[in-house]
Amino acid sequence: MSAPNPGDSRPGGARELLSRATGARVWREHRLVLWLHFLVPPVLAILVEAATLASPGHATLLAVAVFLLAACSARGLMTSLSAAEEARNALNAQLIQSQKLAAVGELSAGIAHEINNPIAIIAQETEWATHLLTEAEKATGGDFSEVRDSLREIRSQVDRCKNITHKLLDFARKREPVLQDVDVTRLVDDMARLVDKEASYKDVTLSRSLPEDLPKLRTDAPLLRQVVLNLMTNALHAVGKGGMISVTAQADEEFMEIRVTDNGHGIPPENLDKIFNPFFTTKPPGQGTGLGLSLCHNLVQGMGGNILVESQVGRGTTFTVRLPRRLSQPA
Amino acid sequence: MDINILLVDDEADFVETMTKRFRIRKLPVTSAGSGAEALKLLDQQDFDVVILDVRMPGMDGLEVLRQIRAKRPLTEVIMLTGHASLDAGMQGMNLGAYDYVLKPADFDELLDKVRRAAERKALNVSAQSRG
Ligand SMILES: Nc1ncnc2c1ncn2[C@@H]1O[C@H](COP(=O)(O)OP(=O)(O)OP(=O)(O)O)[C@@H](O)[C@H]1O
Ligand SMILES: [Mg+2]
Repeated sequence: MSAPNPGDSRPGGARELLSRATGARVWREHRLVLWLHFLVPPVLAILVEAATLASPGHATLLAVAVFLLAACSARGLMTSLSAAEEARNALNAQLIQSQKLAAVGELSAGIAHEINNPIAIIAQETEWATHLLTEAEKATGGDFSEVRDSLREIRSQVDRCKNITHKLLDFARKREPVLQDVDVTRLVDDMARLVDKEASYKDVTLSRSLPEDLPKLRTDAPLLRQVVLNLMTNALHAVGKGGMISVTAQADEEFMEIRVTDNGHGIPPENLDKIFNPFFTTKPPGQGTGLGLSLCHNLVQGMGGNILVESQVGRGTTFTVRLPRRLSQPA
Repeated sequence: MDINILLVDDEADFVETMTKRFRIRKLPVTSAGSGAEALKLLDQQDFDVVILDVRMPGMDGLEVLRQIRAKRPLTEVIMLTGHASLDAGMQGMNLGAYDYVLKPADFDELLDKVRRAAERKALNVSAQSRG
C-alpha cells in the first residue's frame, strides 16, 4: 500500500472498489462481529446450561437473547457480504465497459482507416467530374445543372462520411495527457463563447458561474476543452427554446468538479447506462454519431477522473466531471 | 523561450498587425496567406505553434488542420475564427487543435495561449525523447 504506484494516484476509483470486492476491508471492519459470532454462542450456551439448572424462566430469557444476538450479527454479516458482491459487480461492469470501449475503438479505427482512402478518391473524382462538366458546358453550351446538383450532393455526402471516419480515428487515438496548469474558469468561458451564438439563436441562456478563487488544475487543456465543449453541445441539443444551461465548478483538496446542468428533456432511466456506449444516440441520422459521450468518458478516464450523470425526464440533466487535482505526470 | 510561430490568414491587414505585435515581444512570426502555402512551409520547416484562420478561400481551415496534424503531430495549432460556428469548433477540437479562439482576439490572451501551446509542444517533445 505504501509503495507509490500509478494506481495509487487515483483515489476513489478501481482500487477502492477492488479492496471492497475482494472483501479485504470488509473483513477488517467486521473483525469484531466475526469474533463475537464465534465466541458469544458457546459462552452463552454455557450460561444457559447454568441458568437451566437454576430457573427455567431465566433460561428461556437468556435463550431468546442469544437467538436475537446471533440473528443481528448474522444480518450484519449478510449486509456486508452483499455490499461486497455489489461492489464486485460494479467493478466487473466497469471493466467490461472499458474493454468494450477499447475493442470498439480498435475496430472502428481499423475500419475508418480502410474506408478513408476510397472516400478520398471518391472526393477527388467528384471534383474532377465537376471540372470536366464545366469544360463540357463551355464547349457545348448545354445545361448540365442537374448533373451538377447531383455531383454536389455526392460531394456533401462524401464529406459526411469523411467526418465520421475522422471522428472514429480520433476516438481511437491514444492520448497521453500532457499536464499543464490550467485556468478552468477561462477554459470554460472560452468554450462557452463558441456555444453562445448558437445558444442565443435558440433563446437559450448559457450561464457560467465559476468561483473566482477556483484553483488552477493540473491537467490536459485541449482534452478538457473537448470534454467541456461536448457536454455543453449535448446540453444545447437537449433544451428547447428558452432553455437554461449552467456550468459550475468547485474544488476541494483532492478533486475538482465541473458540472454542466441543463433543464432539457432529460434521459430516460433505461438509457442512463447506454449513453456512454459508442454509437448510442437518440438523434436522427446525420445529426449525431453517438461518439461524444464515449469520447468524453475515455478522455476523463485518461485524465484519472470520472464522469457522472444524473437526469430526470422532463426536468433536466447534470453531467459532473470529477478530476483529481494531483496527478503525477506519466513517465 | 523562443517560439516559432506560423500565422495563416488570408487577411493581409490582420497578418501585418499581428506580425508587428509579436515582433515587439521578440517573437518572430512567419506568415502564410493560404492553407496550401502553410502546408508547403511546414514541409520545409518545423514550427512550434500555428495560428490558423478557419475560414479561408481555397482549402478550408479544418482540412488544413487535419493535414498539419498528420504532417507534424507535435506542432500545436490554435484555430482563429471570425464567426462562432459550434460545429466547426467541435470538429476543430476533435481534430486535436490546442485551442479555438474567436476574432477579434485580445492580443495578450492570444499571446498567452501561444505560450501555453508552445509549452505543451515542448513537454511532448521531451516526453518523446525520453521514449
Ligand atoms: N444533456 C443531455 N440531455 C439529454 N440527453 C442527453 C444529454 N447528453 C446526452 N444525451 C443523450 O445521450 C446520447 C448520446 O450522447 P453523445 O454525445 O454520445 O452522442 P450524440 O450527441 O447523440 O452524437 P455526437 O455527440 O456524436 O454528435 C444522446 O443522443 C442523447 O440521447
Ligand atoms: Mg454529443
